[in-house]
Amino acid sequence: MDFIHQNLLTLITFIPLAGGVLLLLFPGERKNAARWFALVVSLIPLALALLGWMWFNAAPCNDLVQQACFEQQTLWFPILNSYYHLGVDGISMTMVLLTTLLTPLAILISWSIEDRVNLYMALFLTLEMGMLGVFVSLDLLLFFVFWEFGLVPMYFLINMWGSANRQYASFKFIIYTMAGSLGLLLSIQLIGLTMGTFDLTEIMVRWPALAPESRLVGVAVGVVKNVAFWLFVLAFAIKVPVWPFHTWLPDAHTEAPTAGSMILAGVLLKLGAYGFLRLVLPLFPVQAHNFAPVLAVLAMLAIVLGAFSSFAQTDFKRLVAYSSVNHMGWVVLAIAVAGWVGVGGQHDPEGINQLNAIIATNGAVLQMFNHGISAAAMFALVGMMYDRLHTRDLTQMGGLWLVAPVYGGIMIFTSMASLGLPGLNGFVSEFMVVRGVWPVSPVFELMVFISLLGLLFTGAYILKAIAHVLHGPLNRDAVALAHGRSLEINLREVVALAPLLVLMLLIGVFPAWLVGVINQTVTLLLT
Amino acid sequence: MIPLHLYLLVSAGLFCMGIYGVLARRNAVAILMGIELMLNAVNINLVAFWRYISPESLNGQVFAIFVFAVAAAEAAVGLALIISIYRNRETVIAEDVNILKW
Amino acid sequence: MTLETLVWLIPLPPLLAFFVILLFTRGNKRISDLVSVASILLTWVISIIVLIGALGTFHLGENPIITQIVWLPLGESVETSLTMGALVDPLGAVMLFFVPLTATMIFIYSTGYMASGHYWTEVKGEAHGEDHESDEHHEVVVDDAGRTLTQFDATKWKARFMAFISLFAGAMLILSIADSLLLLFVGWEIMGLCSYLLIGFWHNRVYPNQPNRTTPLKAGIKAFMTTRVGDVFMLLGIAWLYSVTGTLNFRETLYSGEMLLALEAPAFPTLGQSVPLLAGLSIAGSISILLFIGTVGKSAQFPLHTWLPDAMEGPTPVSAMIHAATMVSAGVYLLIRMFPLITVGWHGHGYPPAMKVIAGVGAFTALFAATISIAQRDVKKVLAYSTISQLGYMVAAVGIGAYIAAAFHLMTHAIFKALLFMGSGSVIHAVEHGEQHAHHEGHHFPIDFDAQDMFNMGGLWSRIPVTAWTFLVGGMALSGFPLITAGFWSKDEILADAWLHAPVVFFVLAAAAFLTGFYTMRQIGLTFAGKPRTHAAEEATQRDWRMNLPLIVLAVFGVVAGYVGVHEDFPLLGRLFGGNPFHHFVSQTLLESPEVALFNWTPVLLSVVVAVGGLLVGWLVYVRRPLEVGEADPLKKVLGPLYTLFENKYYFDELYEVAFIRPSQWLARQIYEVIDRGMIDGLLHFIARSTEWWAFRNKDFDTGVVNRGVDSMAEGIGEASDSFKYVQSGRIQQYLAVVAAGVLMLAAVFIWALFLH
Repeated sequence: MDFIHQNLLTLITFIPLAGGVLLLLFPGERKNAARWFALVVSLIPLALALLGWMWFNAAPCNDLVQQACFEQQTLWFPILNSYYHLGVDGISMTMVLLTTLLTPLAILISWSIEDRVNLYMALFLTLEMGMLGVFVSLDLLLFFVFWEFGLVPMYFLINMWGSANRQYASFKFIIYTMAGSLGLLLSIQLIGLTMGTFDLTEIMVRWPALAPESRLVGVAVGVVKNVAFWLFVLAFAIKVPVWPFHTWLPDAHTEAPTAGSMILAGVLLKLGAYGFLRLVLPLFPVQAHNFAPVLAVLAMLAIVLGAFSSFAQTDFKRLVAYSSVNHMGWVVLAIAVAGWVGVGGQHDPEGINQLNAIIATNGAVLQMFNHGISAAAMFALVGMMYDRLHTRDLTQMGGLWLVAPVYGGIMIFTSMASLGLPGLNGFVSEFMVVRGVWPVSPVFELMVFISLLGLLFTGAYILKAIAHVLHGPLNRDAVALAHGRSLEINLREVVALAPLLVLMLLIGVFPAWLVGVINQTVTLLLT
Repeated sequence: MIPLHLYLLVSAGLFCMGIYGVLARRNAVAILMGIELMLNAVNINLVAFWRYISPESLNGQVFAIFVFAVAAAEAAVGLALIISIYRNRETVIAEDVNILKW
Repeated sequence: MTLETLVWLIPLPPLLAFFVILLFTRGNKRISDLVSVASILLTWVISIIVLIGALGTFHLGENPIITQIVWLPLGESVETSLTMGALVDPLGAVMLFFVPLTATMIFIYSTGYMASGHYWTEVKGEAHGEDHESDEHHEVVVDDAGRTLTQFDATKWKARFMAFISLFAGAMLILSIADSLLLLFVGWEIMGLCSYLLIGFWHNRVYPNQPNRTTPLKAGIKAFMTTRVGDVFMLLGIAWLYSVTGTLNFRETLYSGEMLLALEAPAFPTLGQSVPLLAGLSIAGSISILLFIGTVGKSAQFPLHTWLPDAMEGPTPVSAMIHAATMVSAGVYLLIRMFPLITVGWHGHGYPPAMKVIAGVGAFTALFAATISIAQRDVKKVLAYSTISQLGYMVAAVGIGAYIAAAFHLMTHAIFKALLFMGSGSVIHAVEHGEQHAHHEGHHFPIDFDAQDMFNMGGLWSRIPVTAWTFLVGGMALSGFPLITAGFWSKDEILADAWLHAPVVFFVLAAAAFLTGFYTMRQIGLTFAGKPRTHAAEEATQRDWRMNLPLIVLAVFGVVAGYVGVHEDFPLLGRLFGGNPFHHFVSQTLLESPEVALFNWTPVLLSVVVAVGGLLVGWLVYVRRPLEVGEADPLKKVLGPLYTLFENKYYFDELYEVAFIRPSQWLARQIYEVIDRGMIDGLLHFIARSTEWWAFRNKDFDTGVVNRGVDSMAEGIGEASDSFKYVQSGRIQQYLAVVAAGVLMLAAVFIWALFLH
């Protein structure tokens, strides 16, 4: 137990990689063995994460600088003074839980993959390692390495197992994200060069305190900071994605294999938001404050235009993909408020908006988690229908509730969670964001007001999907597309979805167990 | 005592005969024989120089013996090759055996 | 078990029933019926226990039953966190009286109503092959619109239906016991979902020969979206209130004098200087208006009223429960609950803007919906517009500050409107049954025969007497027939208050009351009076006790429920019924209990005159001389073009279609096509293409200049060496000759260098 406690994060992060490497040794024709092996391997980090969650609850440690949870630190790259430094607080612990939860479920959904199963599963586990690494690293260089590491398996997953237009989509995905990463690398190096270390906990203390007039390799620190800030923002904005950097997302989501979309929407998008919370806010408080209104406007545009675009779709999966733009907009809106108030409330000396910012940021992190589970479930449901009908065209479906009653029930349930129905998870976080953002300033008031229009259209596109897929007279042509295969959901798929459905209800009814953990970190961050 | 240059003259004549044989004869066996003549011319030189210049050491004789051994080996291998070529191509004329060209 | 714990338990049984039915017993209709009815009965029992406990509590208003937990830990302490809990105060107790009562009746009624029936569905798609359970070998017909139709078993999803209404009842009870706006909103929205699911319950239903008629599916979506417009604003109001007060708890906000005083500050201090419309608006007023927009959506007030009539596409128990008795009243309940907030700035004279808005919208809706109601043919649509109209009454009552009257009318209306809806359901059932019966006897019916059209009825009095008598009771209560109906007492109280405070509102409401009497009598006349106008009506029967029992129970309550609120000074009856106990009980909810308006004969007599007048005119037109087969509505001649206007609901559906629905669909497409696909992706593709172009030019340079140069060098060398290859002749003697020549040359060089140099 001691060993596990001391090396928890390393174990969680690298067990998937080890499993992935082992999977490559599997003979190609042993498909079931590869599937089961991947599933079992992915369950280990989940078990460890749950264990970690328990330990975390027993002894919370929310201050990264003082003492992060499960901290590990070894010099890794002596010339650059970069450390292998891992640690978590309430925000990253939540994300680790989300990632380790979604991966086994995505693997379970991937059972229908028949082509090069072992390679597929290996890529999947490698992907998990990349994502987890981002959430647990406390060293900028390490952060970047993991950040880039996750892209590669995702690219191959889309490119090799995607649907018709996968070449275009995977290319767009990787080029777009790489374009962001480029700047990220540059600014990480700028910071590293300036500080003489890449260790985040140290940078967090010293970097924001650097006087903007002082000079650094011949350039004013203020300029360096501005450049680094914009590059950070660009990288994370592409990943979230913030409007107008979002158009890679519908393509990538639509073309990716089902499980790929689940992870893409469920976790990969959170990396961007996490980057904002973990790096942009603490490292660039001044710039973040100045930029906050712009970010709020962009978030509003994401919410409203995302909802409209989603409503305009006739492709089931693309509709769900656009809903991610819409939902992540709320996260960004809340982050804008956190930036406005500033880390430690430094732009709000009287503390008028402190509580508002805390509520909004809590809402943002919870929304990240909620969107993770509900978007993953939505994509899984879309994928199931696609598996059977081989089409995603909404106009070709109709009345499928008559032949797939359980599927229909689950889909309505999940849609409602996504729509933000009170009693299910999405509402809690959206309410917190609205509540937190609204009173901060007139600009934010206006943004919330317009964003609520987006909320209206969230309803419209969700109902459109339900009406086209489930409701109406049964379309026999759609049933015929399945070639005799039952359209009803099967037991494996129910098992894969059940944890998500339970979580949706649980968070919706009693969110305190999750918000409690997030709140401690967020409160500490903003006071 | 016969002066050294006479030996050398004999040896040079022998060498020239050998060269001529090697360059001018068409029969591969004859070419081989020319080579033998050249080797023996060298032997005569070695022995003569030993006797007239440094009789106290055995270098010249030993060298000559090595040359004999090499000559014998060469003759054996050379003849074997010629026989092999003859068996394949039914000729021992050197000009006809030119498959190693460009 | 304490009362506090019991309060928590009230919404639980139906919610559990929802999950139990969907997860386990959905395959068996009988067990599902049992589970849901048992759950609601259990809830009823618990509610009654709580109710008795509440009635027995001394000064319930000051010592309500409260229990709460920390729901969202936020910030550093419990004070900044969000709590949630249950609350039963006098107003809540009223809800706990009529909600479980009507719900139980409707549950029992549903088990009977959903047990039979068919509807038309379309056979879509060319494909045949091994067929599915949906097809039960019914005859297939082709309608005028060219669609292939078949009959579908309406009872197929009965278990699902029971589950949904259980969820609905659970949500309504959550709303009733909510101690904070947030929990209220939770129940509110879940009801919205149930409403959507239940209106669209027969989602595959189509109407033969009427391809453009609103189907249940479309009606469900319309209901959800329209109410969501209101909900979005309401959410904003909640967020605003929460951010101003730091809590959403009713006791801490509404019943705290300081808090309310703080909310009297102007909402837009700077903006108000330039925009006079906003100048007089306090924070409380702004929040009230936002919350009121939520009510407008939920309680189908003008201009968001259009969804409710279409909601009648749902099965009739749904119309009864959701769209008459409970959910739509939730909007009014919210207003009554938020009364202290709404009335901030009202000190007995001069209404604040929020109240004016509320009273105006309410009164206008009451009259507006009543006019539409008089020209409807569908038995349920008449009731739908009547519901809108009655809700308008209550809203107007809140707007003029008649808090208790609104609550009173909320309660009585829930009972008699549930009764009326169930009665109409019973009528429809009877006619459908009659249609089948007549069909078997060889009478032919067109495929678009409408069992809900009152012009297809007539003479049902003798066929279904239980329904007829109870319907009559409900109708009299609705129109406020004096003294013996509950509706009279509650409506009278509203009118009395209006007379006192806002005469304009009084006259509008009185006009509406006249129309109410008229359309009620018209409905009764068309449905029950005279001779049957079709064979279906001739053969109509309905003898299911599960449907008749609730009618009788509610009819009893429809009479007696009014007597708890008889004005103290009403001659004779005031004393007899304990001197207005309802008023004394509910008024404690507020910090300062409102004074009882002095008893005044004028409004009472006026309201009696209009109600009875309406009934009388209706009786003269539709009952004294019942309609013949094929005869047009006599009203048509009298009203002329106005009738068409009423019949078409003032063309609001068409207006919204043109003004909102089409534009937003167009906008959505444009945003996707133009902004995302065109501009953003266009820019990306432009960048990609430019990069590609540049890359290809680079490639051209590489292949054309660099590669070509290197290649030609290599080729030159190759060609040159080619000419040298002939040196390699393969003739050993040549080689040797060259070697010899070389040796000679070397020798010559050596000789030259050593000796001649």
